[in-house]
Amino acid sequence: MTTETAARTLPRVTPRSFQHAGLLVVLVLIVAYAGVATDSFLSSNNLINVLRQVSVVAVIAAGLTLLMTAGGMDFSMGGNVAVTTAVAAQLLAHGRPAWLTLLVSIALAIVIGLVNGAVVTFTGVAPFVATLATATLLDGVALLVIDGMSVSIGEHLSTLGNGRTLGLPNLVFVAVLVLGLTALVMRYTTFGRDAFAIGGNEDVARLSGINVVRDKLLLYGLAGALAGLAGIMLLSRLAASSPGTGGLQLQLTAVAAVVIGGTSLAGGRGTVGGTVLGVLLLGVVANVLNLLQISSYYQQISVGAVLLIAAIANLVRRRRH
Amino acid sequence: MERTAGMRAEEAVLRVRDVTKSFGGAAALKGVSADFLPGEVHALMGMNGAGKSTLVQILSGVLSPDSGHLEIGGHTPRNPRQARRLGVSVVPQRRELVMTLTVAENIMLGDLPTSGPVVRWRSIRQTARDALHALGLEIDVDAVAGDLTVAEQTMVEVAREVRRGGRVLILDEPTACLGPEAATQIRELVTRLRDSGVAVVFISHHISEVLGLADRITVLRDGRVTWSGLAKETDERGLVRDMVGRDVVSRRPARTAEPSEVGLSIRRLCQGRFIEDFDIEVRRGEIVAVLGPAGDAQSRLFDLLSGRRRPESGTVSIAGRAIRSGSIDRSLAGGLRCVTGDRRRLGLIPGLTVDENLLLAQDRLDRRKLHRWGRLAERAAPLRDDYRVVSLVRNPPVEQLSGGNQQKVLLAKWLGTGPAAVLLEDPTNGVDVAAMAEIHTLVDALAAEGVAVLLASSSAEEVMRLADRVVVVRDGRRVAEHRVDDITRDELIATTLGGALR
Ligand SMILES: Nc1ncnc2c1ncn2[C@@H]1O[C@H](COP(=O)(O)OP(=O)(O)OP(=O)(O)O)[C@@H](O)[C@H]1O
Ligand SMILES: [Mg+2]
Repeated sequence: MTTETAARTLPRVTPRSFQHAGLLVVLVLIVAYAGVATDSFLSSNNLINVLRQVSVVAVIAAGLTLLMTAGGMDFSMGGNVAVTTAVAAQLLAHGRPAWLTLLVSIALAIVIGLVNGAVVTFTGVAPFVATLATATLLDGVALLVIDGMSVSIGEHLSTLGNGRTLGLPNLVFVAVLVLGLTALVMRYTTFGRDAFAIGGNEDVARLSGINVVRDKLLLYGLAGALAGLAGIMLLSRLAASSPGTGGLQLQLTAVAAVVIGGTSLAGGRGTVGGTVLGVLLLGVVANVLNLLQISSYYQQISVGAVLLIAAIANLVRRRRH
Repeated sequence: MERTAGMRAEEAVLRVRDVTKSFGGAAALKGVSADFLPGEVHALMGMNGAGKSTLVQILSGVLSPDSGHLEIGGHTPRNPRQARRLGVSVVPQRRELVMTLTVAENIMLGDLPTSGPVVRWRSIRQTARDALHALGLEIDVDAVAGDLTVAEQTMVEVAREVRRGGRVLILDEPTACLGPEAATQIRELVTRLRDSGVAVVFISHHISEVLGLADRITVLRDGRVTWSGLAKETDERGLVRDMVGRDVVSRRPARTAEPSEVGLSIRRLCQGRFIEDFDIEVRRGEIVAVLGPAGDAQSRLFDLLSGRRRPESGTVSIAGRAIRSGSIDRSLAGGLRCVTGDRRRLGLIPGLTVDENLLLAQDRLDRRKLHRWGRLAERAAPLRDDYRVVSLVRNPPVEQLSGGNQQKVLLAKWLGTGPAAVLLEDPTNGVDVAAMAEIHTLVDALAAEGVAVLLASSSAEEVMRLADRVVVVRDGRRVAEHRVDDITRDELIATTLGGALR
């Protein structure tokens, strides 16, 4: 037990890349393999496609990293994405201007996050249970909003979804901005450090004068906001909202990415750097399996295996000593 | 001394030779050798961070030495299981009960009696009850471990290890947070086990306790053995010199002025059977002690004053202004600072760095928005110096500090925030002699600045050293009050034990 604790918490001066060396190695190996095994993986078109896909997951994962570090959990972010895409698609399809759509859908996403936060904070229901319930509920609401059909938005939001700046997709810039800001918040603001304190020991956090209730509401609200943003990004990329857009599958990918990146499910520990690696790893693996035209059964098996290997690889570094 | 050790080394059940252990490049143990003989109490002493607990972890197979050799009856254990099989039982400094299980389950853990695959509950509870009775303990075996006081948890853990039996019993600061009664029980138990041939390894910062109990003493300083020999060959002064490298003096300062301004006052406080109609008045610049068995009344006082819990009735006021009860914010805003006796559960955030823990409360009181690491280190430096926080690397997560150093961080965290009144619950729990003297000086200084200090303690020595007045509590009621200058230590202990009203 002690050896583990000893190594688990490295001094924070360790460079991120070093802290996640195991994960980085796995990622590099898979990229190298993909480059050799397929012709198309390293083509710029494919790489850009991968980046566009992971951008959405990255934004959700960023919010989740912060929330989980504080010992929270939001399983409904995927559902939130589904609702946001549905509502935004309907608004755009009904000719509302883009700015209003953005405002309304993100405000709605924040409200959903705050409701989660309020339930978790004031009733004491376990976050996992509470948000799993909202997740199911939101998936249903999303279907209602689009009436179980596909709602197309035409050319709306295409600058965001398909546009490029300096050769890189605009979606990537949004994701990088969100990840960067989250990293800064976690390391250089009291709010971010509060998250570590609350996740580490909530009683001590409260006794130290941290406003735990307010912080938790903010964290869930922020998770909601980012889910909303991810929803808009997803809609802009797909140009339509259909049944099954967002939802639990997206949620699980984000949770997996965060956990692979070394954020503790129990709270008190987490880094954006690890999350970025986790997101990339899952995105690359999915892409490679597609390129190799592996049947979806084997795809599932492989994704599961990679998850396991990555999680173990990330621990290797911590176990040493 | 060398000769005796050499002669009897043959019989040693447990033996370490030239053991070295480093954490992240800094050595916690450097070439330590020792023999532990059956039927002997062998005390390990040394300042906070000297390496005692690290040595314990090596003896019990939790850590493996970087170099050197460990041998138990001819075998070298590689992990805790093997060490246990070779007859080593250990009560570590960090208590390791499963907080959600009952006392009975904890005592029998890993050794649950079964018939086939079915757990025999009746037998578990009976065996656990016997194990507790054997130590003269009255703890409900059906209570959940997390609900017990730290003292009770310690006793349960000791009972568990004793029941498992074995040739070697290691106790890492078993008496650190116990009151005199419980500590006596532990010492009697140790003597009994020693007489039955067990090799006991005993760690404590209380010199008189060690001198009275140990047959052999090994002193560590900065990971090296500075003295080892029979207890009767040394004395308090010698031990202090070997541990600290100099003499340590700690004396009550002369308090000149009679404090008069009202500081902290508690009126008719009630909380279940733990605190009944409790009144106390601490003037500014005064140190008043509440002495009683560790745990019940003390930790309730912490809960009520800190705002963690709302009392059933009663008021707390600072400088005449009542503080709304049951609110941590109000309590902090009123200038009240409460230092817990349970630093792991209510004191520190294990994964945050030492500096962050030191300034955790201050930064929140200042409503700082930004977390500037450079400034943080600068502001933490004086606190580290004042409270002598020692660590191997510069700013590790606080959980990597030795127990005593964590305690210093906890005190610094709260006493550095400009309090109007403080509650100190066993403030020098697990702290070494030198640091204890310094902490006492710091508390004296705090009082001299006009802070009202309420000391909830289980140690009569500490009360005699620090307090102006002492209120003796028993079963949640005050049974006596004395001016410390008018009473001797022995009289005070007699009052706590007998509850005799004078
Ligand atoms: N897991 C760890 N990782 C890093 N450093 C550690 C670890 N465990 C202990 N140390 C360091 O090793 C040194 C010795 O610690 P140890 O716990 O053995 O001290 P100790 O003598 O038991 O002190 P105390 O009386 O305060 O309990 C300390 O400086 C501590 O910070
Ligand atoms: Mg120790």
